[in-house]
Amino acid sequence: MIMTQDVIQTINEHIAIIAPLLIIQAILIVTALVSLIRTEVTNGPKWMWALIILFISTIGPIAYFIFGRRNDT
Amino acid sequence: MQWRTIYRKECVESARNFKWIWVPLVFILFCIIDPLSTYYLPQILESTGGVPEGATFNIPTPPPSEVFMMSISQLNTLGLLVISLITMGTIAGERKSGVAELILVKPVSYMAYISAKWAAHVTLVVLSILIGFLASWYYTQLLFGELQFLHVLIAFFFYGLYMVFVISISIFMNTWTKIPGLVLFLTLCTLILINLFTNLLPHFLEWSPTMITSYLPTVLMNGDIAQNLWMASVMTIILTALLLMGAKIVLSKKEIT
Repeated sequence: MIMTQDVIQTINEHIAIIAPLLIIQAILIVTALVSLIRTEVTNGPKWMWALIILFISTIGPIAYFIFGRRNDT
Repeated sequence: MQWRTIYRKECVESARNFKWIWVPLVFILFCIIDPLSTYYLPQILESTGGVPEGATFNIPTPPPSEVFMMSISQLNTLGLLVISLITMGTIAGERKSGVAELILVKPVSYMAYISAKWAAHVTLVVLSILIGFLASWYYTQLLFGELQFLHVLIAFFFYGLYMVFVISISIFMNTWTKIPGLVLFLTLCTLILINLFTNLLPHFLEWSPTMITSYLPTVLMNGDIAQNLWMASVMTIILTALLLMGAKIVLSKKEIT
């Protein structure tokens, strides 16, 4: 419990440094979701990609952009 | 004229695929993750535990140029993978779906087709690397100390050449087969082989493109550009040109039969 408080405190102190990291991840997630909603067909079920994008940070959206989209149709 | 049309078509396609958004972002992430985690290493160790009670670590702070090299080595692994992944289907996929035939029945030369695609990917990747380098430079400056901007720009110039070379390998492999996955495999194999040979025979292959990265620490430290770095760059440019010409020859033979 004390440890998590420590972590939270450190994060609060350094929010200006870490913020860009979080913002970039947020943009990645949002663009991936927008693209997912707009496309009609994906490789594999859509709900699966939604879960992957939302819950696997960083790698999820990238994986969707590379493997989820069908570009050749 | 047609060259510009294909080039523009490629850029529009990249924008529609959101590549113009996610590739730069991912490169920024790759570039800043190492400076950040190095800076917060003591805190990370503390909060994850595993350190015996009372043990004190004295982790020396690495010099700024070394931190910047960490970002570059991150790009050298994950960045290369991303580049190979985004270029793997550019010609192979179009030939598979028949778009390539549609384009090439028009009076478009093979060279224009290949080089326009190559140029479009080069623009995207080089800009992404520039943004990533700037982000890494900002963080290094902020957390570790002075690193001259000019040195970063010089390093960017040479590293960009190497990345252009990687794109050329991928484009060349694209003309051999219609299966994007195989293109990826061949590209990565080629890179690994070049790396392996360079590491095995470092004195014979001082001008190998993969050596560019190993000359960068001196550039970052004091801005010195070694003679070998120039030679390696010239070698890289020649190999890039050869790869593009090879791609043209292979593609024209493939399309006729």
